[in-house]
Amino acid sequence: MNPALLAFLKKEFIQALRDKRMRLILFVVPVVQMMVFGLALSNEIKNVRLAVQAVPNDRLAHKIGERAAESGWFHLVPADDAEPFELIRTGRADAVLVAPPGGLTRALARQSGEAQVLVDATNAIKARVIENYLNAVLYRVLRDENPTRAPEAAVTFDVRVLYNPTLETSAYLVPGVMGLILCLVTILLSSMSMAREREMGTFETLIAAPVAPWELFLGKTMPFMILGLADVPLMIALGVGGFHVPLRGPLWALFLAAAVFVGTTVFIGTLISTFAKNQQQAMMGSFLFLFPAILLSGVMAPLENIPAAVVPLSWLNPLRFFVSLTRQVMLKGTIGPFYWTNLAALGLLGAAAATASVQRFRRTL
Amino acid sequence: MNAVEVSELTVRFDSFTAVDRITFAVGVGEIFGFLGANGAGKTTTIRVLTGLLSPTEGRVRVAGRSFADGARTIKSRVGYMSQRFTLYDDLTVSENLAFTSGLRKIPPAVSAERIQRLLRFVGFNHSPSALVRDLPGGLKQDVSLVAALLHDPDIVFLDEPTAGVSPAARSKFWALIRGLAREGKTIFVTTHHMDEAEECGRIALMRAGRIIALDSPAELKAQSFPDPLLEIEWTAGAPAGWRESLLERGAASVVPYGLHHHVMVNNRAAWDRFVGEHTGRLTVRTIAPSLEDVFIRLVEGADR
Repeated sequence: MNPALLAFLKKEFIQALRDKRMRLILFVVPVVQMMVFGLALSNEIKNVRLAVQAVPNDRLAHKIGERAAESGWFHLVPADDAEPFELIRTGRADAVLVAPPGGLTRALARQSGEAQVLVDATNAIKARVIENYLNAVLYRVLRDENPTRAPEAAVTFDVRVLYNPTLETSAYLVPGVMGLILCLVTILLSSMSMAREREMGTFETLIAAPVAPWELFLGKTMPFMILGLADVPLMIALGVGGFHVPLRGPLWALFLAAAVFVGTTVFIGTLISTFAKNQQQAMMGSFLFLFPAILLSGVMAPLENIPAAVVPLSWLNPLRFFVSLTRQVMLKGTIGPFYWTNLAALGLLGAAAATASVQRFRRTL
Repeated sequence: MNAVEVSELTVRFDSFTAVDRITFAVGVGEIFGFLGANGAGKTTTIRVLTGLLSPTEGRVRVAGRSFADGARTIKSRVGYMSQRFTLYDDLTVSENLAFTSGLRKIPPAVSAERIQRLLRFVGFNHSPSALVRDLPGGLKQDVSLVAALLHDPDIVFLDEPTAGVSPAARSKFWALIRGLAREGKTIFVTTHHMDEAEECGRIALMRAGRIIALDSPAELKAQSFPDPLLEIEWTAGAPAGWRESLLERGAASVVPYGLHHHVMVNNRAAWDRFVGEHTGRLTVRTIAPSLEDVFIRLVEGADR
């Protein structure tokens, strides 16, 4: 192996692993972030407090309440004959089912009537989910009560959820978070290390030596690709072992995607560093890239929610493609045209990042 | 053949001319001093001579190589100790030297032997497995010098090597520089210390991108002060306007030096009359001009 590259590998590994903060960024931050995202950032809403406001002999209204509690999403809180709105306002309940005057049971017998549901929508997402859950419960109860006259008896959906049948959000989030962490670690590592050389003056040592620009460039990028890839098995183990995220596809497909992705992000990090005079500027520059990259990646919010005008921007986002790839490989497991087109797109971005950073790097020598 | 040959070298950054048509040569084995205020163009010149910066105009030959041969062929023959601290302070002494060896592609066996020899040469008595950040300033300079010498360069460029180093460490460092010159290496050094400039075989003084003087310290003194230099002290208070009257009557310069003044006389008869008028209030001694006197005079001359 080229002795200059070997020297760089040794030096960067020693520096990265000796520095306490770097060790933290490399090995502790990924684990903590996976935990936080996997456990806390969940779209599932449990323990919704539901109050049923109905006369005691209104069998149907209370049955809906019981069914809701049985589903596991709700637990019942006593209505205490309070004003329904008061229950929400004072925070004693998240949702209140208010039976019509005379009761739901009689309304059903009459084949007409309306029940009111009050939902606390200070958290809009939560309110939407509660509404959907309650609708489903109501539908079930009505069908049980009146099998012959089920409301939409003509056509019913038999929905089968594939790949993530229990709709575990961690299965969806964890592969995305893996990409997010990998992106963060490699961009910070590569941009800060180069900026550090400039800040400390050691850059002079590098350029005073008779090394070719490509040797310098590879010497300042390769070590971080390897360090970044070292995080991949750690995160896969945590995702599969800790969060029971399935790994249906082959490992090589995951590592191939990770290698292309890490290459791309390290080149971007190096590109950022060519604009930075010190580590602080490199950090700022990195976050200038990272925030939009994370928002436009589909890790947190579905890509479909991105406004049309911003969509082309997401095509320039390597994280977007990598997240699609990890989900594809881990959850679906099929290595088909979807995998290869996303990988090709990622590769194109990588090539563009490499070209741009080589150009800038040469100019700053 | 000369170690360094520079002719009509010009370096411009956009519209700013950092180095303006300078011409000089440095012989093999010489200790060549490069002096001048900050911003005079010293570091820019050194960056050209070490292959870090391409000249805008002019010809440069360093160790027989020119930019036409590629900057890297120059880099491989020169050692450079930059003004800025260029070791990694989070690596140990041996890790730093191992990295430099690798970067310069020195075979491991050769580099191991050289590191041993050079650490002995600079008198490094600390542990090589100590982190560089834990070393005192003087020792860091020693290790920087070892790193600059690892590839056995013909010419060593030292850009303010003793800035911020204790006087004891400075004199030790200069003993090393003389040792290197005896081995036949050419030393090219910049400094702000006049006592260090005295150690150089020849010195060049740069000002605003130009070399305004270039010779041995003794020769520069003789040229700048053809007339004797006198140090005067007013023992009983100086009369008002004495400087002006002295300059009118026959002194080429009157420069204050602490409590004394250095006077250069060019009209002996007028001077003798002046001394006669102030007998008893004035003590006069003939002194040898220091390099500082020389530079003040040269810079004044260039400004005029």
